[in-house]
Amino acid sequence: MILLLVIALLVWRGANRGVVIALWIVGVVAMVGLFRYHVTSVLDLSF
Amino acid sequence: MAETAVDTVPGTDDPAATRSGLWGVITFWGLHAWVLAYCGVVLSAFYIQFAMGEFPCPLCMLQRYGMFLSSLGALFVIMQARRGELTTARYAQGLGMGLIGVLAGASVSVRQILLHIKPGDEGYGDPVLGIHLYTWAFITFAIVMIYVGVALMLMPRGIPHAPAAGSALHKVSTAIVWIFIGVVAANVIAIIFLEGFAPVLPDDPASYNLIDQLTGH
Repeated sequence: MILLLVIALLVWRGANRGVVIALWIVGVVAMVGLFRYHVTSVLDLSF
Repeated sequence: MAETAVDTVPGTDDPAATRSGLWGVITFWGLHAWVLAYCGVVLSAFYIQFAMGEFPCPLCMLQRYGMFLSSLGALFVIMQARRGELTTARYAQGLGMGLIGVLAGASVSVRQILLHIKPGDEGYGDPVLGIHLYTWAFITFAIVMIYVGVALMLMPRGIPHAPAAGSALHKVSTAIVWIFIGVVAANVIAIIFLEGFAPVLPDDPASYNLIDQLTGH
């Protein structure tokens, strides 16, 4: 979440577009990683 | 090289040709509505967290993360438009960031909805207007997906057009941007209190870890 705050401040300050998009991609990868870390159980969808 | 080629397509690299009147104004403020709506959603979640004492689970926090990720796409376009640097390619990049952000958030929402979909399962947390927060989150993600689709259909005519610097509307835009940055910062603080010195959130938080750790409870 700190990364997202940093990206928001960089966007506000008009930082290099490549840096912003690269950090944003890191943010997406971090979210996928956190999702994989927290989701460990198999969904039991047998009704 | 490819990006340069896109940026120089006749009629799309000339700000005057692409930022046409009403559509440009509508899409500019539509992006603000997107950012402001997600600020409202997260502030409502803060109310439920702090006033009603419900602790957000990791999946809830990941949905907030998805909301912020998508809002950063909107913010990217807003700031480019305010500086007069927005091209069709950059607008598409911002919308793409927004779309991927809501897809990531929607994936988490769907996972949480499916966790509680079985008959008899009361779900996680108290429902708001009869619907649980993760289902509301999915609805907001779907609305943004539709918004991005419509915005793409309007291209290149709907390239956002910012009001003149120093005008009252420009100040409103600045205020909304800072509200967003403030909400993200508040969420960072909330997460630090929830996680304490742990690297990730507990699976089923029942207190603020940082306070517990500092007070020795």
